[in-house]
Amino acid sequence: MIFLAIRYLLERKRQTLLTLLGVFFGTMAYVSVSGFFLGFQKFMVEQLVNNAAQIHIQARQDYLETHQLDESFFPHLFKHVFWVTPPSGVLGYIEIQNPQSWYERLRADPRVEAFSPLMMAPALFTLSKISVSANLIGCNPVQQAKVTSITDYMVEGKFSDIATGGNRLILGDELMKRLGAGINQTVLVSVGTNVAVPFKVIGRFLTGNRGADLQAYGAINDVQLVNRTPNVVNEIGVRLKDYTQAAAIASNWSKIAPERTESWDQLNANIFSVFRIQTTLRFAMIMTVLIVAGFGMYNVLSMTVNQKRQDIAILHSMGYDTFDIVMLFFSQGLIIGICGSFFGLIAGYFFCLYLQTIPFTSLTQSNPGGHLHISLSLSIYIQAALLGNFSVSIASVLPARSAGKLTPIEIIRTGG
Amino acid sequence: MGIFASHIGKAIGHPSTRVLTEINLKIEDGEFVALTGRSGSGKSTLLYILSSLDMPTEGKIEISDRDIQSMESEELHQFRNLKMGFVFQFHYLISELTSLQNVLLPTLKSKREEEKRPYAKFLLEQFGLKEKFHRYPRQLSGGEQQRVAIARALIMDPQYLFADEPTGSLDTVNSEVVMGIIRDVNKKNKTTVLMVTHDPDFANQAERQIRLKDGKLESGF
Repeated sequence: MIFLAIRYLLERKRQTLLTLLGVFFGTMAYVSVSGFFLGFQKFMVEQLVNNAAQIHIQARQDYLETHQLDESFFPHLFKHVFWVTPPSGVLGYIEIQNPQSWYERLRADPRVEAFSPLMMAPALFTLSKISVSANLIGCNPVQQAKVTSITDYMVEGKFSDIATGGNRLILGDELMKRLGAGINQTVLVSVGTNVAVPFKVIGRFLTGNRGADLQAYGAINDVQLVNRTPNVVNEIGVRLKDYTQAAAIASNWSKIAPERTESWDQLNANIFSVFRIQTTLRFAMIMTVLIVAGFGMYNVLSMTVNQKRQDIAILHSMGYDTFDIVMLFFSQGLIIGICGSFFGLIAGYFFCLYLQTIPFTSLTQSNPGGHLHISLSLSIYIQAALLGNFSVSIASVLPARSAGKLTPIEIIRTGG
Repeated sequence: MGIFASHIGKAIGHPSTRVLTEINLKIEDGEFVALTGRSGSGKSTLLYILSSLDMPTEGKIEISDRDIQSMESEELHQFRNLKMGFVFQFHYLISELTSLQNVLLPTLKSKREEEKRPYAKFLLEQFGLKEKFHRYPRQLSGGEQQRVAIARALIMDPQYLFADEPTGSLDTVNSEVVMGIIRDVNKKNKTTVLMVTHDPDFANQAERQIRLKDGKLESGF
């Protein structure tokens, strides 16, 4: 019956084309919109995964609760203690308690690619009369470069140079601008009430993220000295071989040590909820297009069934049964679905290639082209083809079934 | 063998109107039978019931000793495809297909298109349509369309040919041509022909006339 179905379609070229266009645009929209969103999400995830450590092990700081000290002070009465001025403040440690045991654990763990002990402190940077407060990060540059992609963002100087001499700094672009500093100038760095220490600026980095660019990197032992906490480490950044396992590994580690361990996806949970909204929106949009295409198909096919009542009658009298008749009309839907989604996929693919050439993000080292990130993943194309064909098939089944139910005698007696 | 009908009755609609009452008849193989009667006498209904396109309300039909009502749908369609040909008042050709394709349409069902193609050409040539194999129905005259329709009815070499007013929409000349073809089919191929007509001249060309009046057999059974 396929050959007759094709004849029918060719006979109504304009209607066929319009229905085909519905499916075509539906699948094309699915491919390009999904490509756009998934590409964006992948780009974001890559940024999150590469720019910072995948697991942060931080010294834990909890707040003191009102009755937390009752038992220690009044061991017999602790259920009936009422404080005039309840104890308050910060409980815990400003450093990682036993960094050596962490290092051993991390070295022995096959899932860990690299780790980097850090000393982070809020510091005041001063150049002549200008003072800017920013985060000062002390690290071992070789280890830090393995954990994050900071070296990719270097605009001036070499990241590893912070460890080549004493008191050297690499400033983020934003911090550099606010201070009005330049390379080889000396800025004063002070932490807390400690005396300011001069540091020489030997480099600049630019990530494009203003928060990240308002930071400075120094060698870990220099920062420890400025902070007057020799040998203290308050964070360890970890890079894994497989970043998707980060959440599971982090929650596992949090059980065996007092430190707070958080994975990149736990830290950026808000971004993932945005992704979920995007996904919902994407499906809602595409489903609308495809439902409209489905209605178009239903309409056209119902009309065809009506126009071809005589043909149905004569086919019945020739011995074609209900199944043959259903297939005659259903296959028209299938042909339109397959052709429409096929061309839609191709057009969507080329549209995605075009989108990739559109300039979008700021030019940074990690994103040298600065173009839109579009996913060309095969699964998008499979989904698009399935959705396109599914909507059209559903829309064709009903008219095809009603055609199959027509009995020849009704049609012949009424003269068509 | 042949077509055998006993106690056929048919009522249609709600509330039901009786169209046929107590029809008993037998049509032998190779017969040429005309069903006549005034319009509304039920002759077309009887033709469709005898040809399995319509089902009777009561009674029993046997065609070639097979009980039509007890046949499975698939078997019945197969039977229709191989054993029966239909010609209607209107040609009912499929407008998207050429004459030749229309004639070959029944052969697609049993996948015998290639085998039957020479025969289709032979039939069309015989009916004076040699030059019109690849014309579409709208490019043919009314008489030519009806001749293509008859060729289509004959392509499977059916044992039975059912015709419902085959000349109803044709002029005198074309009517004569079509009647000639039907007579020939009956004579040469020994095809059993059952034809509904209200034209007494054409009815007289049949071997036997069955007359219906108000849904009952009046004569000829």
